[in-house]
Amino acid sequence: MASGALSLGVDTGGTFTDIVQIDAAGAVTVDKAFSTPARPEDGAIESLAGLARNTQRPVGAVLGAAARFAHGTTVSTNALIQRSGARVGLIATRGFEDTLVIGRGPVGRVGGLPHAKAMDFLHTEPPAPLVSRRLVRGIGERVTAEGQVLAPLDGDEAAQAVRALVEAGAESLAVCLLWSFLHPDHEEAVREIAAGVAPGVPVFLSSEIAPRIGEYERMVTTAVAAHVGPATTRYIASLQDRLAEDGLRYPIQIMTAAGGTTLPDGAAREAVSVVNSGPVGGLVAARHLGKALGIENAITADMGGTSFDVGLISRGTIERTGTPFLDQGLPVLTRSARIDTLGAGGGSIAVSDGFRLRVGPESAGADPGPAAYGRGGERPTVTDALVVLGIVDPERFFGGRYRLDAGLAEASIQRHVARPLGLSIADAAAGIVEVVNGRMSDLIRKATVETGNDPRAFALFAYGGACGAHCADLAMRLGIGRTIVPYGAPVFSALGIALSDIVYAHTLSAPVGLDDEQAARRVARESLAALAGRAEADLAASGFAPGDAALRYSVEMRYRGQMNEISLGLPEGAAEPGLAGRLRRAFESLYEQRYGASAVRVAAGMEIVSFGVEASVAADVPEFSERAPPAAAPGPVRRRRIHRRGADPLEAEIHDFETLGPGAAVAGPAVIERDMTTIWVPPSALASVDRLGNIEIAAEGRE
Amino acid sequence: MTATVDPITFEVLKHRLWQINDEQSAAIKTISASPIVVEGNDFNTGLFTAQGEVVIAGIGSVVHVTTMGDTVRSIIGRAGRIRDGDVFLTNDPFMGALHQNDVVMASPVFVDGEVFMWIGNVLHHPDVGGIDEGSFCINARTIYQDPPRYFLKIVDEGVPSPEVEHTFVTNSRLPDMVLLDLGAQIGAIDRARRRIDDLLAEQGAATVRAVMEGAIDVAEAQVRDAIADLPEGNWTGNAWMDGDRVGSDRIHRVALRLSKEQETLHFDFTGSSPQVDAAVNSTWPATVGGAAVPLFSFLCQGDIDWNEGLRRRMRITAPEGTVVNARFPAPVSISTVGFRWLVTVAAAEAIARMFASSERFRDRVCPSWNSSSNCNNVFATAADGRRVGALLSDHRGSGGGARSFADGFDHAGTITSFASSMGNVEGTEWKLPVLYVYRRCIPDSGGAGMYRGGLTAEIALVPRGTDALVLKSTNTAGTDQTNAHGIAGGYPGAGSQTSVVREGRVRELIRSGAAPSAPAEFGGRIHHLASKDEAVLGPDDALVFYPAGGGGYGDPLDRDPDAVAADVAEGHVSRDQARAQYGVALADDGRVDLAETDAARDRMRRARRQGAAETGWTAGTKIETPGTHRIGEHLESVVDEEGQTLRCARCGHDLAGVILRRRPLGAAGPLRALRWGGDSPNFVLEEVVCPGCATLHEVREIRIEGKETTP
Repeated sequence: MASGALSLGVDTGGTFTDIVQIDAAGAVTVDKAFSTPARPEDGAIESLAGLARNTQRPVGAVLGAAARFAHGTTVSTNALIQRSGARVGLIATRGFEDTLVIGRGPVGRVGGLPHAKAMDFLHTEPPAPLVSRRLVRGIGERVTAEGQVLAPLDGDEAAQAVRALVEAGAESLAVCLLWSFLHPDHEEAVREIAAGVAPGVPVFLSSEIAPRIGEYERMVTTAVAAHVGPATTRYIASLQDRLAEDGLRYPIQIMTAAGGTTLPDGAAREAVSVVNSGPVGGLVAARHLGKALGIENAITADMGGTSFDVGLISRGTIERTGTPFLDQGLPVLTRSARIDTLGAGGGSIAVSDGFRLRVGPESAGADPGPAAYGRGGERPTVTDALVVLGIVDPERFFGGRYRLDAGLAEASIQRHVARPLGLSIADAAAGIVEVVNGRMSDLIRKATVETGNDPRAFALFAYGGACGAHCADLAMRLGIGRTIVPYGAPVFSALGIALSDIVYAHTLSAPVGLDDEQAARRVARESLAALAGRAEADLAASGFAPGDAALRYSVEMRYRGQMNEISLGLPEGAAEPGLAGRLRRAFESLYEQRYGASAVRVAAGMEIVSFGVEASVAADVPEFSERAPPAAAPGPVRRRRIHRRGADPLEAEIHDFETLGPGAAVAGPAVIERDMTTIWVPPSALASVDRLGNIEIAAEGRE
Repeated sequence: MTATVDPITFEVLKHRLWQINDEQSAAIKTISASPIVVEGNDFNTGLFTAQGEVVIAGIGSVVHVTTMGDTVRSIIGRAGRIRDGDVFLTNDPFMGALHQNDVVMASPVFVDGEVFMWIGNVLHHPDVGGIDEGSFCINARTIYQDPPRYFLKIVDEGVPSPEVEHTFVTNSRLPDMVLLDLGAQIGAIDRARRRIDDLLAEQGAATVRAVMEGAIDVAEAQVRDAIADLPEGNWTGNAWMDGDRVGSDRIHRVALRLSKEQETLHFDFTGSSPQVDAAVNSTWPATVGGAAVPLFSFLCQGDIDWNEGLRRRMRITAPEGTVVNARFPAPVSISTVGFRWLVTVAAAEAIARMFASSERFRDRVCPSWNSSSNCNNVFATAADGRRVGALLSDHRGSGGGARSFADGFDHAGTITSFASSMGNVEGTEWKLPVLYVYRRCIPDSGGAGMYRGGLTAEIALVPRGTDALVLKSTNTAGTDQTNAHGIAGGYPGAGSQTSVVREGRVRELIRSGAAPSAPAEFGGRIHHLASKDEAVLGPDDALVFYPAGGGGYGDPLDRDPDAVAADVAEGHVSRDQARAQYGVALADDGRVDLAETDAARDRMRRARRQGAAETGWTAGTKIETPGTHRIGEHLESVVDEEGQTLRCARCGHDLAGVILRRRPLGAAGPLRALRWGGDSPNFVLEEVVCPGCATLHEVREIRIEGKETTP
């Protein structure tokens, strides 16, 4: 990055568009504007204008000084959820036209739903179809599991199919033929034919979008790309044009769910990865901040109004997942950060039937919102419980912009929880918080244990408006020693976006058994060469030289017959002799760590399913600068009684975050109030502010 | 030493237990090499009290919930010494396993030298020996031709026993996969045990015990509350099996009378057929598990925990020596897709009728869901000499029954597990020597009704890379009658059929790019197999099969004509059947011809009156509670000074007398009784028609008594 240059990150969210600027000295400046869902570029530009105003520079000067403008957009997500993208025509191998309709049985109906919803068998309505059955055509062709052509492509029929689909209204074409990732020629021929028959209609090939085994998921991925790709590219081009006019000298970078950014020329191909990329920014920010703080293993916890999202950084690497569900019934083959989600947030509703107390997943949202909002919400939420307990100050919620009504919170808890369960109001409120904390800590345990990790070896990064009130309790329940509420917490995703590397990732399925070392090495050599070619082509298209990027290879393996793979790093030169033995040992070592020695089967056959490459161009961002000491003197601004369950109330000190400079320490029980969030420091915990302005809470033992 | 626990701690710790148990499930899904486990979800995991009561069951198949408890109790009763670190294994259906493929493992957790609780799981192994490939022993006549039954200690005080493992694995045709599955089961228990140890250290045994006991009590109380809201009465369910082993077309029956007895549901299977010398018999624990399935799926759903609580509110009567309570040494290796499956089919029908009588539960009505498990095991020797084989997963493309407010789900999966899915064609072609010809949605496979039953899928494949693909077909039932019940005037869905097309031209057609889309285009001889059958497929042969569709809800003539037009446009219903079943006439542009539709529907109502008058019809329901209430769609029970009457809610006609109209099974649509050309000599459709307004109140498949004809 040129000296004096700025990094800008803009994150479009549902309500606000956040902007973060990092200057050459590492100083971070943030701002917010309202999002403009109808024309999201307006919100992005407005956030930039706000930042320029508040730093007293013209927009042109900000953009002119920017070495990068990275952006997280919800355009693709919205197009998908609302099914408002391009009308897709689908071409499939004859005999398999119903692949999407059949949806592998219930996968297309309940896949991706939370268990509690999926268990309600009779009320699991299927999602709106991505492709109308009327816009699917089968064509004659067939490739075998070995990648050999059994039936050549019938070009005339393909031309007829394209013509018929376009005449029937298709605005975009998805092509997904069986085994095309082993033999892409047929799909490529369809694209050429389409270019002749229907020039200008974009064509998406499954062998390029997701060259991996499993035709249902590959077809969904390709259809999603065809549906949201055109809208995504249009949006990016439009934003790019406006920013360039205003003085931006570089192509904008678009955040993907894999935890990196892509350039505009890659956005159409990676449109699927752009969907649901929002929460990943926080993971990137945590990884970066972790480096500065000497933290390699981190759990990220993002709690807002309706959901609680957990991510994992293990040895400095963001934990990935192979086949995430973008939405109900839509599994896709993209590499994506693993994010475990629970319907638990400040707005989650507590109910009791007299037997049990449940919190969420139903949420009061922003409207009517918690009972204390006084907007007609009758049922108690987590926020109401925090008000009753005294953790949230009704006079100072959201920086004092909303006045909450504690009486309404009490009345709703009394009616819906305390009375049915025979508890006092304070105990019921404490119970609501305990139950939601229990669910959240169980989710964190799941995310760590399932990936072979122990939460006690991790630090917790807590952000999102609602997390500060819960994070220290979560850490104590899990035996986590360090909890960090980052200084940048209110705009953490935008911060991560500003910090993201440019990443081009490709995965290619090439199933091969390990028992035939020769064959395995040949397949590895060919696959890695093909992947390197794709990564280099991406880099070249974006104007990078091969040396600008670091290439990392990986391999996905399993015992023969298994259906889930384990991903292993594959150093270069992996196609050399001894490959099979090395892979086997690496696999078994990871396997033992995750599932115990009894799960390792030395006699069982093993197979490679896929190879992957990730080419990353590092974002050159300076270290964060230290935060200046505050003007006001530290010390509690108030005291307040905090209720507990089955125990006397505590007298807690209330601190204003703006008065706490680097080195300040606050012993629990205490509450630290910040503009957009409230941080609870339980008894026996100690909060301190570090040189970057992060609050670190040290807690020992369990609650 | 029972401690009490407050509701907050209870909720927090119960969820913690749920999460620990879910980690067992995650481990099994990751490690298992069996598609039936990973894709089919045919496994489950559980935490149990010291006495073997199910506290928490996982999100695997609900049919394993009660049987896991039965098995753990059998282990406790029969084990010699039980020591810390032991892991027991059994697959004995007379000890609680559903059939021999379902291998249960359980391990005690000790506190202060005593068993505090059990951790366990069950998983369907792909082959555990026996006379037939895949271990659904369609040729077995006694249990000695079934797979061996084991009761072993596979880990002894923490030390795995290689001898035991070898003995178990060596009897399998697929030892590599079985070995991985054993590892999955032990690994899952190990993982849960570590987490339970943490929990006990943190919370103390007394609190955890109180939470475990409370979890069962709370679920039981919730079920009791739900039952209290149901009307008094009793409701019937039926299921038939056509063919019990290779070479047999014998017809057997599961008869069920479900009644509400105070706060208990009584499932009485008296009247079911005597046990048979074929492996389709169900043992007592399997029957209990099968009866509980629709209650877990449609009553408990996600609201009431899946544990022993429901079982405590069920009473089961199943006479010994019948197909629903087989006596040793009856063979039972097919049980879970044999009579256990049909117990669930009959229970689903009776429970749907029960819910149809209740305002509160009417939205839970669903008369059928995946009525027949059309299971096809294919085995062969691969090019490299390895023996390969698996149960194909395609039967999970079957249809769900219509609901009281909407159509049934197409390709719904199974009633036993919301996550039981079909594998990808590419995944199967990679593992097995087969080439798929098509996998398609079949029009007209959903039962007609005001709400249509869900559609099923048809699959065709040919051998590839082998000259001899061994097929062992275990189709629950449905080659004659369908069992795909409709309700409230809805018709049954498609039956369930496996066929082999010999000496066809499929391969040649695929090569020329003209892959066929129906067996009639294969150019060979079509053999519709009996429900339990076998074959060896050569290079020019093809396997074609479809599982059952879903039954309909309500009179098809009440279906919105525009919905029928939309079905035709989407390919869900053919133009012919739109006319034949729904009386809907479409113009050339696909829009409804309203005048012609009205006329056609009038003609159909007139035709319905051509049946015989019948008295004493009770709609399968005898209402004993005073008060007027609705049943299903257009029926109501009216109680006045003259007593109780059943009335047509639409026209007010007293239904003590109705019109019964009998028609061949094929009148419900194509894909019924294919082996009989659509007109079964053994079964007939019986339609119950209101004499007043000709509304269809019920459609049933009726056995023509005294006749038993084979093709």
